[in-house]
Amino acid sequence: MIKKINATLSEKLILIFLLALAIFAFSFTVLIKNKCLFVKNLDPQKINFDKPKNIVVLNVECGNVIIELYPELSPKAVDRFITLIKSNSYDDVAFHRVIKDKLIQAGDLEFGKKNKLNYGKIGTGKSGLGTISSEIDAEFDYKKGSVGLARNLKYNTEDSQFFIILDDEPLFEGEYTPIGKVIYGIKILEKIKYSHRSEYVLRPDFINTIRMYRIN
Amino acid sequence: MKIFKLILLSFILITTVKANTIYNLIKIPNLEIYELKTPNNLKYFYAEKPFQLGIQKNISCTNSSKQTYDEKYKIISNNLNRYSKQFLKKINLKYIVMCENLSISGINTAGIPDHLMKTLIIDLKFNEKYFERVIHHELFHVINDGFKDLFSEDEWKSFNNKNFEYADCSTCSKKLGLDTYQNTNGFFTEYSKTIPSEDMAEVFSHLIIDRYQNTNDNVLNKKVEFIKNKLKKIDVTFEF
Repeated sequence: MIKKINATLSEKLILIFLLALAIFAFSFTVLIKNKCLFVKNLDPQKINFDKPKNIVVLNVECGNVIIELYPELSPKAVDRFITLIKSNSYDDVAFHRVIKDKLIQAGDLEFGKKNKLNYGKIGTGKSGLGTISSEIDAEFDYKKGSVGLARNLKYNTEDSQFFIILDDEPLFEGEYTPIGKVIYGIKILEKIKYSHRSEYVLRPDFINTIRMYRIN
Repeated sequence: MKIFKLILLSFILITTVKANTIYNLIKIPNLEIYELKTPNNLKYFYAEKPFQLGIQKNISCTNSSKQTYDEKYKIISNNLNRYSKQFLKKINLKYIVMCENLSISGINTAGIPDHLMKTLIIDLKFNEKYFERVIHHELFHVINDGFKDLFSEDEWKSFNNKNFEYADCSTCSKKLGLDTYQNTNGFFTEYSKTIPSEDMAEVFSHLIIDRYQNTNDNVLNKKVEFIKNKLKKIDVTFEF
């Protein structure tokens, strides 16, 4: 016959502590692993848009980001952006430049593709369609969520790279060509991987797809 | 050496990346926004801390007091507001940087124009007496840098008397006086006699500050007409 031994109070406390620790560790691991846990993903089909022809759906790891384009503001730049979207050129392209709470940049079609990422040259790649002229004369308030075409130090060097700002940037007006604004899903973009030490991200997050909005 | 490398590495590892939009735009550190909403779209910055520029860090400037910034901003903006947004866009000027003790290679200077960066750095205490005129003088250098072909120095030199020669550079001469001559004799100031571009800038700034009436000074009359004509070529709406 096995004699039943009751656990002492201190043994019970240790057991409770270990269980609590295990639950905490497990929860913490889940939270850390799943950065998208508390981010709301939107279904664009459930939203009514005023100008559906100008709507773009950017799909990333945490869900859909809805962007409204402004063709009346920057016709050439928006036309270029749509051309590249329609050819699926942005699919699997890295968010290669990310500044926490400030800016994300993607669209290097030459050196930023998932299967041929080139860390040495990322940010300098071209689309093959040539550069376009800057469209910076119109007044545009670069508020959080604004989308613009990136360029190098000189004007008229816009191509395929674009940025989305995660904070107001009044100094961008007259410097960068605006193409649109995020109308839903800015929180999703705040989850894009960044580095504390550099604007350029090692093993970056990627665009899954960018598509023009279509009503099903 | 290993310790040095370790210290350097640890410094890099603990240094976080911080976005600095002003630095990214005009490559000048330690600046803060003073005013962005202006009638002609000029953006004003001030030095929060001293800064150094250039590959050899030969350009330097220090921060000033809030009172000085407030006082001088009013003067600078009043003077620069006479230039239209369209004109400033044509000459590629967008950013004004205010600081104190501006110098290049240890030589004090009133302003440093950077046409490519669309920036004009202004020393707030270079010359109190002629501060307003100096603003326009420095602005002319922005214009000149953007339209070198328009402001032909050979044509300009031909206006002077044949026996006159400029110095080799603006700092090679001791002729630095900014007082306006009573008897002009081809030049508004002593500083005009340094080099052609400074002479042009002096003519331009005098035309902006004072209404110039044609006198018997034929050399100066030609220079004035030259500047007026070239400015009209840049912007037909430009008025002195």
